[in-house]
Amino acid sequence: MFNTIYIEEKAYEYHITRQLLHKYVDSEVVTIRHYKDVFNRPKQNLAVQKRYPSLILAVKDGQFLYEGPVVCQSFDHPNFYYTSFLLNCVFDCEYCFLQGMYPSANIVAFVNVEDFKEAMKDLLHSRKKVFLAVSYDTDLIAFHNIIPYLQYFYDFFASHPDMLAEVRTKSANQAFYNDYQPLKNLIIAFTLAPDEIIKKYERHTPSLKSRINAVKAATARGFSVRICFDPVFADPEMEDAYKEFYHHVFTQIDPGSILDVGYGFFRMPVDFFKRIEKVRSSSLLYAKEYFVKGNVVSYPEPVMERIKTEHLEILEKYIKKEKIFTL
Amino acid sequence: MVLLVTALMAEAVPLIEYFKLKKDMGIHAYAVYRNSDIALIVSGVGKIRSAAALAYLCALYHVTEKDILMNIGFCGSGSRKHPLGTLLLINKITDMDTGKDYYPDVFCGRDFPKESLRCYSRAVREDDVSQGTDIFCDMESSGFIETAKKFVYAHNIVILKIISDYLEPHYLNQELLKNYIREHVPMVESIINELKHLNDSTCEFSFTEEEKKAFNDICRNLHFSSSMENMLLKEMKIAKLKGMEPLNILRPFMEIKACSKAEGKKLFEEIKQRSKLENV
Repeated sequence: MFNTIYIEEKAYEYHITRQLLHKYVDSEVVTIRHYKDVFNRPKQNLAVQKRYPSLILAVKDGQFLYEGPVVCQSFDHPNFYYTSFLLNCVFDCEYCFLQGMYPSANIVAFVNVEDFKEAMKDLLHSRKKVFLAVSYDTDLIAFHNIIPYLQYFYDFFASHPDMLAEVRTKSANQAFYNDYQPLKNLIIAFTLAPDEIIKKYERHTPSLKSRINAVKAATARGFSVRICFDPVFADPEMEDAYKEFYHHVFTQIDPGSILDVGYGFFRMPVDFFKRIEKVRSSSLLYAKEYFVKGNVVSYPEPVMERIKTEHLEILEKYIKKEKIFTL
Repeated sequence: MVLLVTALMAEAVPLIEYFKLKKDMGIHAYAVYRNSDIALIVSGVGKIRSAAALAYLCALYHVTEKDILMNIGFCGSGSRKHPLGTLLLINKITDMDTGKDYYPDVFCGRDFPKESLRCYSRAVREDDVSQGTDIFCDMESSGFIETAKKFVYAHNIVILKIISDYLEPHYLNQELLKNYIREHVPMVESIINELKHLNDSTCEFSFTEEEKKAFNDICRNLHFSSSMENMLLKEMKIAKLKGMEPLNILRPFMEIKACSKAEGKKLFEEIKQRSKLENV
């Protein structure tokens, strides 16, 4: 599974590390001092690392929780934060901002879950109510069979109802929905896209059909489910595909079983975009011209407005307007 | 290109023979041997010598990130975990003077044992370490990788060490050492081929030499400014990624010489329009 497992000296004493060493007995193990010694090396080839991923087990220190960035949706929650138990993802989406954010495609897994919980408690103490995105820099559900982070945090979320947690995923893995009871403060946010987009940009991800099945499994078990149409691409060749896609999604999924919908166009901070443009030199997505507003690369406003109007017209047939959050 | 660095002539000879390398008589600072694809330099013993020799080769051959840099040599072993003559692929190097760690990405040689290596400034003897310690020691690797990581991708840095002794460097037999290398040269070749295949399979965008020449000629003949030149390259990249032939798009403009910048701008717009047409 992993080319090499790098382990920080201080990470050996943690439960997750022991579990993984037991599970991946045949993997090469290299002891390291700090995860950044491996993760932040210069001249790592992300495309090759994606093919032969390594896992880095580390003990997180410093800041555990971050304020939600402007390019992400807060869903009208005033105290919007995110955290990362994992850096990087098992999937390989061409449009993913992580390629511009990190110098490596290797996956860092933080093993000190109790320290994260302490930081969350401190945040709750000062903010009272918090919306916390826990799966922005990764896909926790896709990684669930390797490290079941949601299992480790389940009791914490269950006992802290003022922390509303969102787990964003493209995974078709249904294990968590089958094994755990839903929590009112735990939202499973499924990112759905037309199959044409999945095939074109979302390498190693499940098909639309598999994701819809996972949505159905989660809603059937009573989980709060958010559907995210994000990122949407302003591609003339895809316009008809999107329209058919929205109808298809809501003929398969009962709109009444959905908490809300997130909608956003392909967008990215300029510096991330420039880095990815170099890393993915053969990508047509990054060769195209975009519009830069502030520090964000995206499509021109009139183009987004036109497409958004058309798409929302369809979505509002299924979901109430006030339940659709756009960015 | 593949650049090999060995500390000793004894380590180099079997490689020179196997890859049929010829001495470059134009180089006097070092002994450099080469064929069309491989160059080998004999650096001398020690990390500074290894770093200097590799830097010399990298500058000489204008190394790019996709070239392969390989250090081949002997190491001492503190334990008897592996028999003498075993080839190790190194996945971590610790410089014992600075305490700094280095990590090449090891994606090749799946069947070879992988180990961490300590790089010392002097030969390590049995008395210097505790009995049976599971360590491997050399004198070049940290200098080699310190230089290599400036030039090539982390997976194109390969450090191969053959166990020459169990920390008894005074008993080394030169002929036996040469035989250890000789035995492993086919494996070295297979690792090189694996890496070449891996590098070739990553699709990085580039224009052909013919395309680059055509862009240069057109920019000069049509008096394009540097920003127009950049825009032209971007248009041509998009066209090529869409499966079109840049040279077909540019063909009608190749013989034209603009009389003024204004005429150049008009022709630039025509090229942009033509690049947006399908099936050119």
